Order: sequence, then structure tokens, then C-alpha cells
Amino acid sequence: MKKSVLFLMILFTGLNLFAQADADAILGVWETGSGKARVKIDKSGDKYVGRIVWLREPNDENGKPKVDKNNPDANLRVKPLLGYSMLKGFEFAGNKKWDNGTIYDPENGSTYSCTITMTDNNTLDVRGYIGVSLFGRTDVWKRVVVKKS
Amino acid sequence: MANLIKRLLLFFFIGLITLPAFAQEPEPDDEEEDFSMYADAELADGAKRFCTNKVLDQSPNKLISIGYDFQGSHDMTVGAWGTIPATTVRVNQVSGIRLNGNVPVISKTNMLLNIGYSYWEAHYSMAQFSNNPFVSTLDTRGLRTAGLMATFFKPLNENQYFIIQAQADLNGDYFLPDFEPLSYLRYSGAAIYGWKKHDRLFYGFGMSRTYRIGEVNYVPIMLYNYTFPSRKWGIESALPVRAQLRRNFNPRTLAFFGYELEGQSYRLSNIEGIEGVKNPELRRSELRIRFTFERSLKDFIWISAQAGLRYNWNFNVDEGDFFRGFFGEQPYLFENSLTNAMYFNVSINLVSP
Repeated sequence: MKKSVLFLMILFTGLNLFAQADADAILGVWETGSGKARVKIDKSGDKYVGRIVWLREPNDENGKPKVDKNNPDANLRVKPLLGYSMLKGFEFAGNKKWDNGTIYDPENGSTYSCTITMTDNNTLDVRGYIGVSLFGRTDVWKRVVVKKS
Repeated sequence: MANLIKRLLLFFFIGLITLPAFAQEPEPDDEEEDFSMYADAELADGAKRFCTNKVLDQSPNKLISIGYDFQGSHDMTVGAWGTIPATTVRVNQVSGIRLNGNVPVISKTNMLLNIGYSYWEAHYSMAQFSNNPFVSTLDTRGLRTAGLMATFFKPLNENQYFIIQAQADLNGDYFLPDFEPLSYLRYSGAAIYGWKKHDRLFYGFGMSRTYRIGEVNYVPIMLYNYTFPSRKWGIESALPVRAQLRRNFNPRTLAFFGYELEGQSYRLSNIEGIEGVKNPELRRSELRIRFTFERSLKDFIWISAQAGLRYNWNFNVDEGDFFRGFFGEQPYLFENSLTNAMYFNVSINLVSP
């Protein structure tokens, strides 16, 4: 009896670790389709979030670091874009898919529902949409490898 | 001892299972991080980068658009043919709904396929009764156009791309339940090769088969979309079909000034009283010089208001659909003219992410 319980627990633990590895496959640094930004996806609790960690053009026309000037909330318009959380609330749904999250587009200050699908180890299909997935657009993100200095 | 080891093992596994659920990881936002390390990075597996089809601050793609178009009063002079004399009538208004859609069905970094549709109505209201068959069919039936289009954007690398567009339209004096035979479909399309020099400049050159001047023609086309460094102004154009200067007040408020050449060939299947004429085709084309204001009402719902001058380019009637080109000398069945009119167009739109 004890051996059976122990076996089941080891099996469950093993499965849990594999599932966790699948869920965490999204972690890392990704470049957006336009190549204008890189986003680091981290885990926060049991959710996955993403921050802007690099901008191709980090400064505005006055040479100052870009801020979130298009945010509908006036209080947030002074917040620097570098370090900004643009992906929020993603949960692993299995089958290489993360959903229930949102994506923020600093270009226009809009937040969209979003689903992320990993098509291979280095590629994410990031689909932002309005209401239903049909009314959306998919941006393909590529994993970037940070060079060790 | 054995029991103790078993209990420790049990405790270890239970801990392993439950720890992740209770683990409180810090919010990444709270972490201090040196972002400079992410500048020196390269794409995994040597993946390629591709250019996008938009410049910075370009007006948003309209997924769904429901609009109303209105032209004010003007005169219509209809030429003579056969025993039917020329006549001039006063048109009180031309108005109708305009439904449009343009949905990306494949949206990848290395490929974009948009499928679009359109349905436009033009109802003519004449100031007085006319027994001219052409005027009569416009007055009683109006004009309709229903179309499907596909636009394929293929970036080749970070700077080059090509676009293929195909469109099929059913235009005529039909009523909605009684569509014309599909053999009356009018096909147009374009192929463009171009460059995206940087995030603010996108241009290309190509050829198009178009009915924009009312009858089928083959004309060179030039795409040119540019945003000035200040990012307050821009140009959006597909010459010679349309060009407009854009003013960006903010990402949710835009204004434009420019023109568009609108045109189609309409099969007049229901015209009565013109015995001996087969397959009359109205070659309708108008140049619209206009001011447009677009603003987000809430999130992704945008309103667009447009007003300007409608200048008649072509309103003649041919017998059958054929290629005349710029140098063809085939005569029209009868030639018509319209005086210019003011117009406005309002629409409510669902815009794309």
C-alpha cells in the first residue's frame, strides 16, 4: 500500500514537473515582429507577464527616454517605456498556449485581449484581439539570445 | 529508521508538489534591472526579420465600417441616342449606405492575407419625373455594388516586400434579392513591389487593372506612405487613385486632406425602353476632394466624418464592357455629364489592433 502511494506521488510529481517545464517554455526575451522592441517574459506568481527591456529607438524627438505618452490614464503618461509591463495575466492553458492575458500597445495606448501560442521553441504567435479572436492581428515574436559579456 | 526515511521522503514530495503554488515571486516590475544587457542580443537560430506593411502613426485598418454617403443637388445632362433626345434633370440627392470590412485572416510576420468586402448603395432622388429610360432606372432602382477583395502582403526581408491584390465586384441597377448573374462580375487587381526604408517610409511601384475611371484600364500605381520626423504629419497615398496629407493630433485623433478617385462599371440590366441596345454599362467615376476627421469614440470604436467636393470624371454609357484605354477611339453609346456637388460621408468603424 505504502509503495503504491509512494509510486503515485513520484509519478504525480514527475508529471507536475514536466507540465511546469512546458508552461515555463515561454520564459525568456523575445523580439516583436516589427523589431522595434524586445520583451522579457517572466513569471509572477502563477501568471506570466512581459516587460519591455529594449527599444530600437529608446529616446523621443527631444533625446529623452520615451515615456508612455499615449496611455489613456494621464497619471501613467510619465512612466518610462523601458521596463513597462505590456503583457499581463497570462495563464498556461496547455498545448503550448497561454491565454486570459492582455497586451498593451504603447503606440496607441490600447489594451487588447491576447493569446500566445508557441509554434516552435523560438517563435511565439501573439494574437491581440477585440472581443473575439477573429477581430485581431497576430504578431510573430522571435526569441533572442542575450550575448554573455 | 526506515519509517523515518519514508516520512522524510513523503514530506519532501508533498513539499515539492505544493511549494510552487505558495511561492511568492516578486513582481518583475519591482526588480531593479540593467536593461543595457538586452541590447547585445541576436535572434535565436538565425531567424530572419521582416518588414511590416505600415509606417508609424498610420491610420488604423478598419475591420468593419458602417457608413452613409450623401451627395447634394446637381444637374445631370443625359446625351441623345437613337430616337431619345438629350435631356437635363435636377438631382436632389444621391445617398446610400456603405458597408466595408477588411479582416486579416492570416497574420504572420512573413505573410499577411486580408479578406475584405464592400456593399454600397446609391439612391438617386430626381427633382422631377423624367421619361428618359436612363434617368428613370437611376430614379427607381439606383445603383448597387457588392465586392470581395483579397490583399496578400509578403515581406521578403526587413526592407523589401510585394503586394498582390485581387477584387471582384458585382455592380449594377439590381435589387438586393436579385443579384445579377456572376458573369457580370468585374475583376480588378494590382501587383506592387516595394521597399520599407525605415519605420516612417514605405513605398512601392506596380501595375493595376482598375475600374476607377469607370471603365477597365491598366495603369501604373505608386504606393507612398510617409510620416514626418515630428510624427505630427504624414502622407498616405496610392497614386493615382488616392493621396492624402495626414495630421496626427494624437494616436486617437486624426485629420486628413486629399482626394480619392472612385469608380466602377455598372451593368444596367433593368433599363427599359432602349430597344436594340444590349448590355448597357454605366461608366461611373468621380474625383472626391475631401477633408476627413477620424477619432476614437471608445477604445476600438472610431467615428469618421468626411466632407468635400464631388467632381464628375465619367458618367457615360457604353454598350458592353470592353477595354478602351487612354487611346481607344470607340465611341460611347451616349455621353452624360454631371455638375459638381458637395458631399459628406459619416461612418462608424471597428479598428484593428
